[in-house]
Amino acid sequence: MPIFEKSSESSVTRAIISQFAKDMDEYAETDVIVIGGGPSGLMAARDLALNGVKVLVVERNNYLGGGFWIGGFLMNTITVRAPGQKILDELGVKYKMYEKGLYMTPGPLACSKLIASACEAGVSILNMASFDDVVLREKNRVAGAVINWTPVGALPRQITCVDPVALESKLVIDATGHDAMVVKKLEERGLIKTPGFGAMWIEKSEDAVVEHSGFCHPGLIVTGMAVSTTFGLPRMGPTFGSMLLSGRRGADVAIKHLKKK
Amino acid sequence: MSRSSTSRRSETRLREIEIRSPECSNEIETAEVVDFLESIFKGVRIAVKPTPFSKLRDSQLERVALYLASSRVKDISRPFAAVEPMYGEMEYEIRGLEGEARLGGIVYDGRRLEELFIDLLGTRNPLEKTTIVMTDRLMSTYSSDDLRHHLRTVVLGFPSIMSIPGFVEAPAKPRSYYLIKQRLESSTGLAADPEVLKRHFKGMFLERGAPGMTEVAKGLALQAVVHHLTLNPFCPNRKCRLFNAHWQEELMTSQVGSPGLCANHSKLLRQLGRDPVLSW
Repeated sequence: MPIFEKSSESSVTRAIISQFAKDMDEYAETDVIVIGGGPSGLMAARDLALNGVKVLVVERNNYLGGGFWIGGFLMNTITVRAPGQKILDELGVKYKMYEKGLYMTPGPLACSKLIASACEAGVSILNMASFDDVVLREKNRVAGAVINWTPVGALPRQITCVDPVALESKLVIDATGHDAMVVKKLEERGLIKTPGFGAMWIEKSEDAVVEHSGFCHPGLIVTGMAVSTTFGLPRMGPTFGSMLLSGRRGADVAIKHLKKK
Repeated sequence: MSRSSTSRRSETRLREIEIRSPECSNEIETAEVVDFLESIFKGVRIAVKPTPFSKLRDSQLERVALYLASSRVKDISRPFAAVEPMYGEMEYEIRGLEGEARLGGIVYDGRRLEELFIDLLGTRNPLEKTTIVMTDRLMSTYSSDDLRHHLRTVVLGFPSIMSIPGFVEAPAKPRSYYLIKQRLESSTGLAADPEVLKRHFKGMFLERGAPGMTEVAKGLALQAVVHHLTLNPFCPNRKCRLFNAHWQEELMTSQVGSPGLCANHSKLLRQLGRDPVLSW
């Protein structure tokens, strides 16, 4: 007797396509699109979904988590400074105290728990899709994202000619790390001017990342390392506590805004 | 009418010193600063009031946030020039004014802050009163000596502004601190962890929350009052509380550990304490 139930190849294909089509249909218009599935993007998406907000994460890679899988110097241990460990508690991530206020945990454990928590909260995820452009509405308010399959971007335009698709949303969160891709797209269009690295007091940058997580343009919230690029903070090392707190702050700002509407 | 009677009639006498508390921090023992000033200016009323940012009307909130957001120093190598702030900078300033954002990491132009406080204080800032505004914001002013901005502990003016984080961040730390920091940053390409550096250089500079913070506040408040009365607040003697410290070591020497005044300024302050008349 076979271990698995009988099913046809066509049924497997139909299952994949029908669910994907259903998801795309549902999320063609949503509350929040998070561009980037690293720690701050996932944290923001998780908190939003837990508060009943319909949220889609667009991730250009076939995996989620960004740099959260691994710590500094390609080593698995990631460190989190207080009060970041409180979020690890919420996610059910076990950790050890290295010294007062500094905690450590294996990256794969923390990252997988964060991904699981976001998925369980109801976050929808679109992998292998890259941000291409912004959807703009009245007074240049950001109201969605234009996306395309990541492999399309790897091929010469002359032979691909694959048009992107646009998704509408009430808010977009730029969680694309130091690239700050959404912010940079607005800058290309002359709608925003970022000050460049080093415009803020260097030794306070980690706090400032959290404090500046929020709106940087109507309709656009920025979280994580993208905050550094947007507001001119220096590049930081692997400071995952601030990424998690930044994501949470971004979600708080979004929820407050959506409630006002 | 004789010349002396004219000058006597136009004399302006200091009647009040008003200290404005910082926005949110509480590490400065303001009562001790008041006692210190009272011990010198016995006949002058000294009051402590909330920050000028408190109780802003709704109609003022956006205007003040806009002013703050456009007062950020973004290029330390150029004289300050106001630029239109980003939407997110405005949002942050509004949250900061509403007490929803922790202040830090941003450097504001000191003279712009002074202009803002002049506006907010309005008629409550006459010459008969020295107003000292304590703030939790970092501030700098541009120096034409070396063509760059410098963080400041105090910006003397009308009002004078004391930056609480500036006590720690503005005067330079030991030279070796910066050399090690630069080495760390050039090897990793990332900002050095300030906690690691702090551990290495413990005790060589002032830290937030240290008792010395209040001592520094006393000395800088005195500089503000002397500036108000004479426009000549500084002393070249490193052991005088009126010394204008540029290094942490100098700040500690001039303000922390029961320092006093030099002989000349002891004499001047005895005189100003008895008769606090503006001499300019």
